[in-house]
Amino acid sequence: METLEYKSEISKTFSVVRSFSFNEKKSPLIDEETLNTEETMNTFLDAILTFKSKMKVKAEIISTITERMDKLTWFTNLDEESLMLLNDLISAAKDVHSSLIRQYVSLTPLRKKGIAIEEIKAWKSSIDELKESYEDLESVFFFLPEMPDFVETTKQLSLV
Amino acid sequence: MKIFCLEDFKVEFEKLSSKKSYRDIENEIIDYFFDKSIGELESGVRLNNSDDTPYIKKRLKGLGGYRCYFLLILKKDALYLMFVHPKTGTLGSSNITDESKTYLYKKVYKAIENQDLYELSLDESKNKIIFSKSVQVLA
Repeated sequence: METLEYKSEISKTFSVVRSFSFNEKKSPLIDEETLNTEETMNTFLDAILTFKSKMKVKAEIISTITERMDKLTWFTNLDEESLMLLNDLISAAKDVHSSLIRQYVSLTPLRKKGIAIEEIKAWKSSIDELKESYEDLESVFFFLPEMPDFVETTKQLSLV
Repeated sequence: MKIFCLEDFKVEFEKLSSKKSYRDIENEIIDYFFDKSIGELESGVRLNNSDDTPYIKKRLKGLGGYRCYFLLILKKDALYLMFVHPKTGTLGSSNITDESKTYLYKKVYKAIENQDLYELSLDESKNKIIFSKSVQVLA
């Protein structure tokens, strides 16, 4: 893959994360009113089913973003411009992570009631992996290359 | 492809597989690493910007998930398992530090140089890992 393709893929990933971040801030995770009013049992159960399905979709979206970010670590010898794009991507991922954690905290009442426990757990796990992924990106492109022992070992291993 | 490991991996693996809550680790390692080509293992997070000797962190599913660190040396068609840890449970941790990644990286290089490794194989049933002190010739 060439430098231009690297830049293009990093930019695309950044756009995906930025849009996701915006949407997560704009639209509420659940229709809390419906879940809280318990108008009729049917409405309540419908709302729970909708919520569970929404959680699954959201967890899948987050996992797709994480996989996409992980793949960027296989890009070799990035130039300054690509590194700047990556830095923007990492910042956007941190931002979306903090929105998602806020949403998770807001679900405490549901968790206490034992509603959608498995779906919430899987969704939280995908959020944790997103965090791990942007931390890994930061490590791979900004921190580890600055550690002399790490760089030296890469050189030594290339001669094995 | 030959599979080797550091003492660190063996110690951690044995500690985990002796616990009921991590009993699936052996299957996870066997399913992911054994009978695979190098190409099939080039995924996950590459830590070292190297195409020929990628140092990889891989998320394995399992109960709560594991993180496995390993090195591939393409020209030797060899894989070196360096460390594994669970994400959750009593022995779980979220991640290892960059200093720990560097420590393991230096250690695997030294172990390859000094042939201080274990070679991994499977028993006849193909569901148990056997560790044998390596006597490979790398030169």
